[in-house]
Amino acid sequence: MLLIRHSQRANNAVRTTSGAGELFVASVVICMILASFGDAVDPALFGEAGLEFAIFDFGGEFTVLTMRHWHLIQLLLAGAAGAFGVFVLRVFAAGFIRILRPAGRRSIDKVPIGL
Amino acid sequence: MELELFSAAFFSALLAIVLIDLVLAGDNALIIGLVARNLPKDTQRSVIFWGTFGAIAIRALMAILVVYILDVPGFMLAGGIALVWIARKLLTPEENSAENHLVKGPATSFVGAIRTIVIADAVMGVDNVLAIGGAAHGSILLIVLGLAISVPIIVWGSQLVIKLVDRFPSVVLLGGAVLAWTGYSMVVREPLLGPWFEGHPATKLVAAVLIFSISLAPWYAARLSDQMKPLTVILPGVLVWMLAFEVAASVWKLQVDYLLATQTGEYILEAGRWLGWLPLVAGYLWVRERLELRRQHAAGG
Repeated sequence: MLLIRHSQRANNAVRTTSGAGELFVASVVICMILASFGDAVDPALFGEAGLEFAIFDFGGEFTVLTMRHWHLIQLLLAGAAGAFGVFVLRVFAAGFIRILRPAGRRSIDKVPIGL
Repeated sequence: MELELFSAAFFSALLAIVLIDLVLAGDNALIIGLVARNLPKDTQRSVIFWGTFGAIAIRALMAILVVYILDVPGFMLAGGIALVWIARKLLTPEENSAENHLVKGPATSFVGAIRTIVIADAVMGVDNVLAIGGAAHGSILLIVLGLAISVPIIVWGSQLVIKLVDRFPSVVLLGGAVLAWTGYSMVVREPLLGPWFEGHPATKLVAAVLIFSISLAPWYAARLSDQMKPLTVILPGVLVWMLAFEVAASVWKLQVDYLLATQTGEYILEAGRWLGWLPLVAGYLWVRERLELRRQHAAGG
């Protein structure tokens, strides 16, 4: 029997993992699939089409085509960066949506705008 | 392939091995305790020592064997497929996880106890050794380091591992992803398939998505609604369908590229490739719904 089965939380990890943990692992998995995508395309063909520079090139090293050479550490770091980016976006988007939401009738006089 | 010492590839492989050791560590202490509980006190001490020694020895022997076995053509593919199954099993929650199926009961003799411990460790450790063999890329140094990490876990580290995965269950998910990634790299490194993958590079992406969709199915199935749950079967099924056409095109020299098709038969084949899976999926959904209704009917009546 595996040691992880002794822990109820680890045994049921697919349900008990926190949102942040899931976001991180999901980002790592996406990076792994992107790396296999870089491994699958013919660089010469992609270069000719000009798509790489149009879509994926963020400054040379961070292209899908170079991701084929990435190792696990790089994929984990990229996954962590991606997850952090999504987290920040979510916080900003939530704040933006909260501003757009109209105030309730009872708290209308608390809105600091003089009509 | 020998990895350069202290390179990013070396540390990545080592990190993969550590993760694999953590999530696939077996409970040897429980097995030794179960086997030795009815033996006299002084024999118990000998069983604990020799049982642990035997478990480490069998793990080392299997690790050495797996390096040579993975060099045999065909075994890299088989190992990669086995890792997909191991990752899936790792992420699937186990009911009655306290039960141990490897040990039927306490041993009555010293030799019987050692034999049970060694066999149980061999059975429990085979997935661990296979995964480490795949992640080590044939490097003996990494295999030795993998053993050096797994042995303390076998002997002393079980409580530490349990605490770690209990505090951070995402380690288990990450372990599943690393196992799937190792499985994919083993499949594409298979010497028998190397030339075929060179000729069909796009199939590497299909293979990667297929491997991740099968390995991580227990994870994303837990997040899907009941109506979307069939996706866990349909997605891998469609990818296998696409791969099958590529394989058939290579084996029977068929033309499955619509840009190069010239005859009616080739166009029909192409239509079958892109649309043929639709009736199969519809049939699967219909059968699944009928079975679900029958189950509900039986439960209600």
